[in-house]
Amino acid sequence: MAEIDFEELIENLLQCRRCGLCRNAVYEDRGFSGICPVWKNTSGFETSFMRGRIQVALALLDGTLEKTPENAEALFTCTLCGSCTEICAAEFNPSECLEQVRAVLSDIPNDVRDKIAKKIMEYDNPYEESKEIKRDWVKEVGFEVPSTGEVLYYTGCTAGIRLPKTAVSAAKVLKAAGIDFAVLEEEPCCGSVMLRTGKAEDAKKNAEKLGEVIENSGARRIVVTCAGCLKTLREDFPKLGIELPEILHVTEMLQETIQKKNLNLKTQGKTIKVTYHDPCHLSRVAGVYDEPREIIKAIPGVELIEMETNREAAMCCGAGGGLRSYDAELSKKMAADRVKSALKIDAEMIVTACPFCETNLSAGAKLIDSSIRVVDVVDLLAESLK
Amino acid sequence: MAMDKKIIKMLEEIVGEEYVSTRPDVLLTYSQTASMAVKPVIPDAVVRPANAAQVSQILALANKNKIPVTPRSGGSSLQGEAIPKPGGIVVEVLRLETIELFEDLRSVTVGAGVTYGALDKFLAKHDLFLPVYPESSLICTVAGNVSVNGAGPGSSLYGSIAEMVLGLEVVLPDGTIIQTGSEANPNAPGPFIRYAFGPDLTGLFIGSCGSFGIITKVSMKTYKRVKYFDYNMYGFEEVEEAEQFLVEIKQNEINGLFTSIYSGEVLDLFMDMLSEELGFPPFEHSPRTITMTIGGIREDIVESDAKLAREICEKLGGRVLNVREMPEQEWQGRLWNFARASYAHGWHWRTLYHHQTPTNSHRSVEIIEDMMEKYKFLGHTAGFQTGHSSMNMYPHLYFDPQDKEEEQKIVKAHGEIAKNLFRSGAVPFKLAEFWKDAIEDMDSYMAFLKLIKSTIDPNNIMNLGVLGGI
Repeated sequence: MAEIDFEELIENLLQCRRCGLCRNAVYEDRGFSGICPVWKNTSGFETSFMRGRIQVALALLDGTLEKTPENAEALFTCTLCGSCTEICAAEFNPSECLEQVRAVLSDIPNDVRDKIAKKIMEYDNPYEESKEIKRDWVKEVGFEVPSTGEVLYYTGCTAGIRLPKTAVSAAKVLKAAGIDFAVLEEEPCCGSVMLRTGKAEDAKKNAEKLGEVIENSGARRIVVTCAGCLKTLREDFPKLGIELPEILHVTEMLQETIQKKNLNLKTQGKTIKVTYHDPCHLSRVAGVYDEPREIIKAIPGVELIEMETNREAAMCCGAGGGLRSYDAELSKKMAADRVKSALKIDAEMIVTACPFCETNLSAGAKLIDSSIRVVDVVDLLAESLK
Repeated sequence: MAMDKKIIKMLEEIVGEEYVSTRPDVLLTYSQTASMAVKPVIPDAVVRPANAAQVSQILALANKNKIPVTPRSGGSSLQGEAIPKPGGIVVEVLRLETIELFEDLRSVTVGAGVTYGALDKFLAKHDLFLPVYPESSLICTVAGNVSVNGAGPGSSLYGSIAEMVLGLEVVLPDGTIIQTGSEANPNAPGPFIRYAFGPDLTGLFIGSCGSFGIITKVSMKTYKRVKYFDYNMYGFEEVEEAEQFLVEIKQNEINGLFTSIYSGEVLDLFMDMLSEELGFPPFEHSPRTITMTIGGIREDIVESDAKLAREICEKLGGRVLNVREMPEQEWQGRLWNFARASYAHGWHWRTLYHHQTPTNSHRSVEIIEDMMEKYKFLGHTAGFQTGHSSMNMYPHLYFDPQDKEEEQKIVKAHGEIAKNLFRSGAVPFKLAEFWKDAIEDMDSYMAFLKLIKSTIDPNNIMNLGVLGGI
């Protein structure tokens, strides 16, 4: 996050004319069927969607509202998914502004936020796991993976530690596509959650550390499987003054391979209906909509069907923006709501392209006792490799 | 002073604990709406009932304890219609989300929380529509719009939203639930006629801004979705020619779904802001330009209407511009483009919606321009036809929200504009508080309105002061 110009931030927040489009606009021409998943999955007071959050932010900033953790709750019960930004008729970016407000108001106590930042600074990941285990998955791939090379697979904390199968799948797919890659021996966290929750100083220190590690690796391209890592490395690092090589999501990197049909893919048996969940940071932020869909469509025996809201209008899974830690119950409820959208169209599988979304959607499915399978697109692809 | 805890407890018993809030942050967000330059007022509590029965219990409780009540739905109203009262309760009705279609009766009944966007999506599946779209359609509720008597694209042919209403379910201030229109008969198959059982009780609540009760359901007419269109623009050098065109369009029963009139300056402003974004080609406009979407379900009628419109324009000395993009965007983008045009420029604004006759619509423009000159502010007005022989004029008075002096100047100018508009023969859609100091020589009308108010709401709890200060 770049230096925040306070006056500009206020000016931007005042662009909100309180029209309320960010609550539950239904606009079929553009595919919107509701906007804010938090509003939809809570008691639905004004503080649960962006119009109210902005009013609270302005009141906290000008002192009308006392700076207490309770009064600041509206700032943090948001995944920053950007759905409101997509529909907003005014000339500002509401979710970006809210992220800045979190940083400006970082003096308001928030234990959850502070603890995550502390864990990242101490362990290089938010899961309090030893930094060494983040590369353990490499042992499962069945081939040698160097720690330096032209292409670096930046695994990310969730794939590296919580969902190593995704990292393994990514590695297998890259190998099958003929893309040689390296994985860092010790990979610091990208710091996404620190940036989203307003821990700007810690995030900058962490970014400098990661920037140096990447520079020393000699990588000329970086591939990621996590949408959060993608946004952070591609969008936020340059704003922090850290130049990185080209950053690509794995679905972008595989485009040419898929188009040229260079992968030998086997059929899944009977045709299965899968739906694709757009990770917010991959879709609305990075504009990557078609690439993952093209991969899914290229897999024999897989039929892609769309949920009611998709692409720019897709509802968030509830994982991002620090919400999963700040209010896990709400986060999972939102994921369950997204799972219900998939069940409504009789999808047999939810495919996504972000391990953090996958984790939360799986939790959401469990919450409603659904047995629907949730996988990463690279898992689906890896399973189809001959 | 915070609300009595016993009252809060009772509210929680009615709607459930999770749907009552007295938190400072929540109350703050209900202290205002989309109405700009209006002083926010923090209520004591906000409740989110799920149905009319709960609304009834809330109002009975408030009435017994003489607690002010502010009904609220989308919170998108622009003229101070849903600003709470100190010590009051905000009753937010967005959870009333039912939709029931009566296809054979050509009607639909929706709960007070249903937005136009949601209803449009539902009706489209049946090839139907509610043909009046307020400019905040994506977010405002049908019931809320009925309570402020709104208008928008579609009104040029079908009139204001009032003309679409077949009946209402209303909770009166004492908690009594009444049904108006044909559905007042419990044996009726559904909403099929508004003017049943004598006096138009439905009309009493339309445009009443929640002063007489809370609308919990509205029954509306539906129409077959229009399939054929003609989009065109008509330019006139003289105001009188343009206004006569508007009269003749109606006299010749040309089916203009949306017919707007713009002065050259306003058109320039819109074009500067949005022509690129909306794909308008450059074109030479006239001092008064009319955009019109002719629509119908029969192609031959649309073609015939379009031909006649062109002939009338030329007969009056006007010029058919043969530019379709702007009217097409006005109609096809009706759910979005007006919101976008209202916010793209970055200014905050106050409005003063009113009706004029077509041949008097230039008076609204003149009044705004005079006030812009006198008070030195930016603004504009344009208008569109709204039914039989009226124009909906929508002045915007711009200000910088960080410049409190300018904001006060706008508030002052606003008051003077209201007076001048009233004197010019204009009428407001509803008697919003903005108009209370502007109306003159209507003493007997106002006395009668007060009598109605005191009869229905003797404890004076419902949305105080909003209906012309009553």
